[in-house]
Amino acid sequence: MRTLVIARRELGSYFRTALGWVLAALFLLLSGLVFAASSLSPGEPASMREFFTVWWSLLVIVAPAISMRLLAEEQRTGTLEPLLTSPVAEVEVVAGKLLGAAGFLACCLAPTLSYVAVLAWLAGPDLGPIVAGYVGVMLLGTLYLSVGLLFSALTASQTLAFLATMFFLLLSEVGAQRAAAHLPAPLDAAALALSVNLRLGDFARGVVDSQHVVFFLAATAWFGGLTALVLRTRRWA
Amino acid sequence: MIELHDVSKRYGRVEAVSGVELTINPGLVTGLLGPNGAGKTTLMRMITGYLSPTAGRISVCGHDTVTASGAARRCIGYLPDAAPAYGEMRVDGYLRFRAGLCGVARGQQNAVVEKALSQCWLSEVRKRRVGELSRGYRQRVGLAAAVLHGPAVLVLDEPTTGLDPGQIREMRGLIRELARPGEGVPAGRVVLLSSHIMAEVEATCDRVVIVHRGRVKAAGTPAELVGGAGSVGRYVLEVVLERNGTISEQEDGLVGVVRGRLLGAGGAVGGAAGGVAGVRRVTVIGAGDRRLKVEVESEAGADDLREAMARALHGAGVVVTELVRERASLEQVFLNAISEAA
Repeated sequence: MRTLVIARRELGSYFRTALGWVLAALFLLLSGLVFAASSLSPGEPASMREFFTVWWSLLVIVAPAISMRLLAEEQRTGTLEPLLTSPVAEVEVVAGKLLGAAGFLACCLAPTLSYVAVLAWLAGPDLGPIVAGYVGVMLLGTLYLSVGLLFSALTASQTLAFLATMFFLLLSEVGAQRAAAHLPAPLDAAALALSVNLRLGDFARGVVDSQHVVFFLAATAWFGGLTALVLRTRRWA
Repeated sequence: MIELHDVSKRYGRVEAVSGVELTINPGLVTGLLGPNGAGKTTLMRMITGYLSPTAGRISVCGHDTVTASGAARRCIGYLPDAAPAYGEMRVDGYLRFRAGLCGVARGQQNAVVEKALSQCWLSEVRKRRVGELSRGYRQRVGLAAAVLHGPAVLVLDEPTTGLDPGQIREMRGLIRELARPGEGVPAGRVVLLSSHIMAEVEATCDRVVIVHRGRVKAAGTPAELVGGAGSVGRYVLEVVLERNGTISEQEDGLVGVVRGRLLGAGGAVGGAAGGVAGVRRVTVIGAGDRRLKVEVESEAGADDLREAMARALHGAGVVVTELVRERASLEQVFLNAISEAA
């Protein structure tokens, strides 16, 4: 219940500030360009596979921008104090913040459904892979937001939270793929399992593998749990 | 009730709060008084559960703030220093959010928000964004957010900072009102506020706790503290000699008589050989025609010496024409407390 209270406020705050609208506009612009470049090619099958595959690189920028203010701003302005002295558990704060940010990501994604309508009007694509693609983007986006939330809890500077999240996301993905290329079996498979880009590729192809779903949810819960731990540790500072 | 048992808090090597024992009862406004950096905010943050004590135990309404943190926090309404709030939200929306956080059911939120808006004189700015409000209004928004769920304990960190004199008077009245018994708080609320302004605490609080360098230096009602063992009494006497003659002729004699009668034979301290017990020092502060004005300082914690001094002087042919007891102020008590610690 309190999680939803926090999530509602968080979602609303994106639309009450210029940052939210700028992010939404940027998101729409980038996704529009990607759609035009990847899905509107004459002679190609009507599909959004390329569109979703490119989403990893967009989310590496967009997710940190959405998440950077979640707790850093609260620390800077002092609102974290009334929040954490309310009868709310740290886990509820984290879940509420994450839900609100994921809700904003969903709001940013919603206008891209018009691309599906355009594609349907032009060529009648298979809707299954498109639905799976959206599920994959939301799962990956929420995971990235949870990483951003953790960095946002570690600093009162939004800029620092943004940069640290972006570099972490870039390095972890590039690192996983590089390690997979150089490590012997079975370590290469383990490294490859950490590559979210490959998992997103499966969603883009229309494959909703339960392993991928569990991976994204578990990783999101892991970073969320770490964030709750950071908040709890603050009390002992 | 708030109870602190041997509470300490360390920030690295710095001990911000050390061995605090304190009980704060409902129905009274209790003021934490101390200079900047005394540990007042740290104490409040530990009571509200924002920080955990390094050692010791704090219980709020019977709930331990560490092991039953959620239950303890449900009893507390907290106004942090500078009243932080989300500037982009409208006042009523922010209060509804805080009501939701405190577990007020959605159906009751409008009613509790309305009550808090009217209680804290915020109705006229209810649709304004918090970030656009003056400091005084933001402070009221913070107070409204603290009281709206009807907590049994109110913790207010520097509640009148940034307010103008009129707002300060209103805020004091509201704080005293909140401590009184009411709906859901038959014994009244525990109201704990902090301040480094003496007049503020004197005007608002029923009980004062003086904190310095993380330790409680004194606690009690303002009257208890002022009349307590740590305070020195001061009296101003004007006396006139009954015999004829000018003071210039007899000044030395009169001073000697007064000193002798108050301090004892030879002016010995402590009232030996006929002096008044409790008198520590006699200082001449003025002289006129057959008149003498002296300041008498009593031992710390001595009783009221006016009657004893008047009797002692009357017996020596000296008429007391004026005798004023200068009461020690809370400020003197406070300065004594923090200078003893220095």
